[in-house]
Amino acid sequence: MSDDSLSTSPSEEAEAAAASRMIRADLVMAVVLIILGAAILYGSWTMPRLELRRVHPLTVPGLVPGMLSFALIICGAILGGRSVRRPAPGGWHLLGAALLSQQAMRAGTVMVLALIYSLILVGTLPFWLATGLFVFSFVVVFEAWLGVPRKPLVPTLAWAFGLAVVTAAAVTLVFERAFLVRLP
Amino acid sequence: MFDGLFMLGDGIAHFLTPISLFNIAWATLLGIVIGALPGLTATMGVALLVTLTYRMEPDQAILCLMCLYAGAIYGGSRTAILLAIPGTPASAATTLDGHPLAMRGQAGLAMGLATSASTMGTIVGIVCLALVAPLLSEAALQFGSYEFFWLALFGVLISGQLTALDDPLKGYIAGILGLLVAMVGMETLHAHVRFTFGITALSGGVDLIPAMVGAFGFAEILAVMKRTVEARVVTSADRVVPRIGEVARYWKTSIRSGLIGTFVGIIPGVGEDVGAWASYAAAKRVSKEADQFGKGSQEGLIAAETGNSAVVPGAMIPTLTLALPGSAAAAVLIAAMFIHNIRPGPLLMVENPEFLYQIVAILLFSTLAILVFGLSLTRPLLKVLAVPRERLMAVVYVLCVVGSFAITQRMFDVYVMIAFGIIGFILREMKYPMAPLVLGIILGDLLDLNLRRGLQLTNGDPSPFFTRPISAVICIVIVFTILMSIPAVNKRVRSLFSRGSTASPP
Repeated sequence: MSDDSLSTSPSEEAEAAAASRMIRADLVMAVVLIILGAAILYGSWTMPRLELRRVHPLTVPGLVPGMLSFALIICGAILGGRSVRRPAPGGWHLLGAALLSQQAMRAGTVMVLALIYSLILVGTLPFWLATGLFVFSFVVVFEAWLGVPRKPLVPTLAWAFGLAVVTAAAVTLVFERAFLVRLP
Repeated sequence: MFDGLFMLGDGIAHFLTPISLFNIAWATLLGIVIGALPGLTATMGVALLVTLTYRMEPDQAILCLMCLYAGAIYGGSRTAILLAIPGTPASAATTLDGHPLAMRGQAGLAMGLATSASTMGTIVGIVCLALVAPLLSEAALQFGSYEFFWLALFGVLISGQLTALDDPLKGYIAGILGLLVAMVGMETLHAHVRFTFGITALSGGVDLIPAMVGAFGFAEILAVMKRTVEARVVTSADRVVPRIGEVARYWKTSIRSGLIGTFVGIIPGVGEDVGAWASYAAAKRVSKEADQFGKGSQEGLIAAETGNSAVVPGAMIPTLTLALPGSAAAAVLIAAMFIHNIRPGPLLMVENPEFLYQIVAILLFSTLAILVFGLSLTRPLLKVLAVPRERLMAVVYVLCVVGSFAITQRMFDVYVMIAFGIIGFILREMKYPMAPLVLGIILGDLLDLNLRRGLQLTNGDPSPFFTRPISAVICIVIVFTILMSIPAVNKRVRSLFSRGSTASPP
């Protein structure tokens, strides 16, 4: 977050910065799209054409993916070309700052917690325990550590524990008993 | 004509049972709560509820899903008025006038008008659904592979164009990415398996429900938790039930907005948010009090709320008759219908004509439930808005995991949900709309199959795609849509028109 005092209005300045950042982000995205498009085009071109089954060349399985990947490459090229042409003062710097901002850290924390829960805990622990642990740590992390303003630890721990127990019990009971859905 | 009325009567009678009325009540209320909670959208709610309802009878399952959908679109208005942040994207336009009204101490009036406007919008939409759907369904029986190919392409394109108004290119890219996702798995013409990289779980393709739960659930959690500031609730103790005069005063705006909303609903993949903005813009253009718009105009609030609610029945028109989802939530409904062995499409009116009228009846019941809950449960709904997002989002993520796992009981679907959530979040941060992506996933198979089947029928001759009358019309519309999204062409066409209008006398 920048705290420079500015002569122009702060909202205009922020809008210009967001535009610069987006122009550079578009360039990165354009490169990704072109590479992805080229890979799919290659995959479609080399896909079996089922000649032995006398399939008409215009109905081969690779036809539509090939056409779509070609369209993706064209869109990527337009996006990239547009991004190169437009001026974006400090765009790369702003894009880097956005990736390291507090907001990005909060989103990253959610991803880490979610991945630990769904990829590691679910499957190794019983579902109710994994769920309880996830809810407890999520609430504690976002209220007592990343909260703006931070909340006092003891009540947060109590709330987090209560919510974890209630969620684990409710989800297990409601899904398994009431709606007869099997849980992971 | 009378057949339709009788079937509508049957549809209403069908749901006049205690269990149906109970389902209508809880599903609509749950929808309103989901809509009111920022970060929980209608699409996400419907996607998660599919899991809970898949053991129910088909008619009851669809009843719950539709009631939740309609309730959520309405529920978003509450947050828009009291918090100045839309509960769902559908209520973004409601914020403009709803919140200023609340700031002036008229929060109750704003909530009451939003409720009556929603009801009005749904009723206009329901009338159009009951009248237009059977006609469209009959016309659609004439459609062949050629027409369905163009329709699928048109759906993705127009959704890309209209959901990313300031940058259609990003809408198109999102649509193409969705279509490419649909290419994964076994194709239906020659049963050839594409792009699975040896992963057997992918051979059936990417399932829509986990993908939707990811793109609309997990991605939304990431977006909500990213923000550091929370909004404050503004409320007042004035009257909630509006006077007849207040509602009737803007009857023209209500009907116009209802029709615009329904029309937007019919356009594939273009949802409630566009419906609300389009009605709002139209109301502002013709209003005598245009200067009040954005400052707490009752007319603006009515236009936005009528517009977004009318999209729900409007979206059901192409969903039921052509199996082209009219909105993102309707895409989930299509997936749910297939789970319950209901096949939407042109044959629906032949095979299962009473189903259309059951949908009409469901919408009527949900409208009544919204009216009752919306005008009576003001205080309890305020409590819902006070739930801290740190606590809510943890529980919602657990529901996302359960929701994506439960239908096929594979952990693979949970991984699909996570992948779509993270990619969806990054795309949204870069201003790529989600609706064309989802529409691409659902229409990819239709587009692929019908293009190649059409070419197979003619032994490789593409001319029927351009010479059959309906095909030709849709093709011309597609070309026009793409050309108009190119800035240089757009500017030139507009200048031609403006020159024409300045030349003619005022």
